[in-house]
Amino acid sequence: MDMEEGPSKTPQNTRHETIQVGNTLLLKLPSGDIKTWKLEKDSTANLGKFGSFYANELVGQPFGLTYEIVDKKLKAVSPRTLQEVEDTEATNELINDGQFVQPLTSEEIEMLKKSGLHASEIIKKQIEQHANYSLKTEYSKEKYKKRKEAKYSKSFTVVDPTVFNVCDYWFNKDQNRLRDIRPDALGQILNLANIRPGGRYLAVDDASGIVVAGMLERLGGTGRLITVCDVDSPPAYPALVHMNFTKEVTQVLSSLNWATADEDYIPITPPSEPAGKIKSDAQKSRLNKRKAVSETLNQTREELFAGEFDGLVVASEYDPFSILQNLSPYLAGSANIVVHSPYIQIVTDLQNQLRNLPQYLGAAVTEMWLRRYQVLPGRTHPFMNMSGSGGFIMHTIKVYDPS
Amino acid sequence: MWSTAREIAAGDLVIVWLTRDAVQPLVITPGKELNGKYGVYRHSDLIGVPYGSKIGSRNGRGFIHVLRPTPELWTLALPHRTQILYIADIAFVSSWLNIKPGSRIIEAGTGSGSFTHSVARAIGPAGHLWSYEFHEARVNKAREEFSCHGMDDIVTLTHRNVCKDGFTVLDTVDAVFLDLPMPWEAVEHAKKALRKDRTTRICCFSPCMEQVLRTVTALNDAGFTDITMYETLLRPHQVDSVPALPHIGQVSEKLKKAEQKREEKRLRQIANSRASAAGKRKRPGDADESDGGRAEGSAGKRPKTDDEDDVLQHEDGQLPQAENHPSGRSAGAAETEEAKFPQSVTESATPTKTTFSKTFPEVRGHTSYLTFACLLPAIPSAQADPATQEPVPSD
Ligand SMILES: C[S@@+](CC[C@H](N)C(=O)[O-])C[C@H]1O[C@@H](n2cnc3c(N)ncnc32)[C@H](O)[C@@H]1O
Repeated sequence: MDMEEGPSKTPQNTRHETIQVGNTLLLKLPSGDIKTWKLEKDSTANLGKFGSFYANELVGQPFGLTYEIVDKKLKAVSPRTLQEVEDTEATNELINDGQFVQPLTSEEIEMLKKSGLHASEIIKKQIEQHANYSLKTEYSKEKYKKRKEAKYSKSFTVVDPTVFNVCDYWFNKDQNRLRDIRPDALGQILNLANIRPGGRYLAVDDASGIVVAGMLERLGGTGRLITVCDVDSPPAYPALVHMNFTKEVTQVLSSLNWATADEDYIPITPPSEPAGKIKSDAQKSRLNKRKAVSETLNQTREELFAGEFDGLVVASEYDPFSILQNLSPYLAGSANIVVHSPYIQIVTDLQNQLRNLPQYLGAAVTEMWLRRYQVLPGRTHPFMNMSGSGGFIMHTIKVYDPS
Repeated sequence: MWSTAREIAAGDLVIVWLTRDAVQPLVITPGKELNGKYGVYRHSDLIGVPYGSKIGSRNGRGFIHVLRPTPELWTLALPHRTQILYIADIAFVSSWLNIKPGSRIIEAGTGSGSFTHSVARAIGPAGHLWSYEFHEARVNKAREEFSCHGMDDIVTLTHRNVCKDGFTVLDTVDAVFLDLPMPWEAVEHAKKALRKDRTTRICCFSPCMEQVLRTVTALNDAGFTDITMYETLLRPHQVDSVPALPHIGQVSEKLKKAEQKREEKRLRQIANSRASAAGKRKRPGDADESDGGRAEGSAGKRPKTDDEDDVLQHEDGQLPQAENHPSGRSAGAAETEEAKFPQSVTESATPTKTTFSKTFPEVRGHTSYLTFACLLPAIPSAQADPATQEPVPSD
């Protein structure tokens, strides 16, 4: 196999450079929550208490900006930089928590909001009326301001849908559905599996498609990805929707299931030849469709069975050893195999099974550790809470068994 | 980059895997030999062999695996000219910076090129990497290496001091990676090189917190946002396969047997001494001494307790005295033991193996702090204030 890597097939960006109709966007709200929303032409987006806006306003905009909603229109706002906070004499010692009350009643705030006052104006009013505000440390003032802003400002940020950000969003939403694949774990997987544009890979992704998302992005529309799933319809890889990939990027993906990926099995496909005379156009197109489906299936099977793939990534709920037994015959010599699991026992047992087999080299188990820091002037420290686990990885290299 | 052909050809770079800790690069040069404690190999014998093959030594004394190079293997095998980045940091930085096919990236300094290879792989022929290094010898070495590895089209290597003279491109790149002692001095230059129509990213890699703080200030002053910092590590686990842990019933049985034997011996000795005393009239007390000086070792069957079982492996002379056994010694104790450890458990002869793992005793505790930030696209001016529909100078 000689894969030419010349620039003949130049990968475009894996998604449109700007926001398009039909995109599924992640909108970060002032509260810190992230809302997923599909941009439909001429629709109005409703962000609840954070306001609503005309969807068309976002079309053609770059990803990553923050907007303020004014009369359902959007105004891009300049990003906030770190607030330089000078320490004042005041400390928290002088203030009783009980006294730190909100001088404006909620009715008053509602009235101010209705009068069209800008969120920062409301906050200023509140601060003015706050008896003890000048006594607070700059630190708690900033905290107070942040809290208020989160509550009142009508704004949102379009999250730039990088693999890291999409993975982070899914991981925070429900890490079980990602099988604990934290963004750092995904990065390790993609590097260890040597995913590169033009490469040919196999994957088993029971992790909502986050692995497939990462692999497709690194292929950039060149090369090949065949996945094997456990359902008889095309697998749902829901994480893919947030990547907003172009067609060119997703077209390198084909899927089989554990029955159709079995060389000894002959898939039962409905007949694509008419029993008698074709009765209607509807029947004709149905038969044509069937034919196309079964042809694609056969091609994908042939491709898998021809082997010589460059790597295999597994993030599955099934026994990884059985997966390797099935798929590693289709790997080329020196192909990388990466198995991720939320449980260390799964990968250590696998490592133990592989280390005495001559077709696997250097099987090793690693655990990911990640710590994030708050960086603020004078207050830089690790976050008090951290993610406990990004799972465990077993990596090995397929080699030829001379015997 | 490297060969993607199935078989090894003359001139290819291959990675020779001796052991996990001994991985070395080899450029296939017909006529040459690879010589080491793992045997003797002719380069020409490797030509035409598929990547991933196991090769026996010519003198039959050892074997090697010949692998296709990857940036990860290269990081393990490369000649060190500086400190280098390893996979944990490389993968995390690449992921946060969104390095993918077609990306345009800046890196400084090049150092030993560990990060360079990983980026070149990810961006592919459609992307481009501008790499800068101010140490001339390192530039020359790296240039030779990148050329050998078929990276000429992907990487532009420039000899320059980026803190003093900045970068060679303007409004072009998607991300900047700075592995320099004073990254804050290059932050303004980096801003110039980054494109302004998209969200772009920067990472500064610094081992010390003091460097981080200065970098954060510089990033903030230059208008970067979403400043954040991470530390990441990979903890390797050692996997052991050991027989299933034995049931305490087994050791209990062994101890009981040993105790019974000793008791039989003692009784035998008493019987013997009585027999000889009957003949020779020996001094009393000898029998007890032969039992290790046990004070209460009166004649007759001595019941045992759990406590005693625990210490039976000590020397006889160190056996605990009576006060270690507060409870009365009931003759029923032995029966209780039997009930607790039924025969079937204590005699399960064939132990199955279990896999255990633990972190390696010594692991990397810190590499560097990874400070990240975004540079957001310039706000389109027509869009700046839709409410008034006329350009208003922003404050
Ligand atoms: C730690 S090494 C980089 C290692 C590299 N990231 C790798 O993975 O191999 C740092 C390099 O930066 C270079 N360097 C330091 N200051 C520089 C400057 N102002 N301009 C260009 N290069 C510089 C040093 O000569 C050194 O080779």
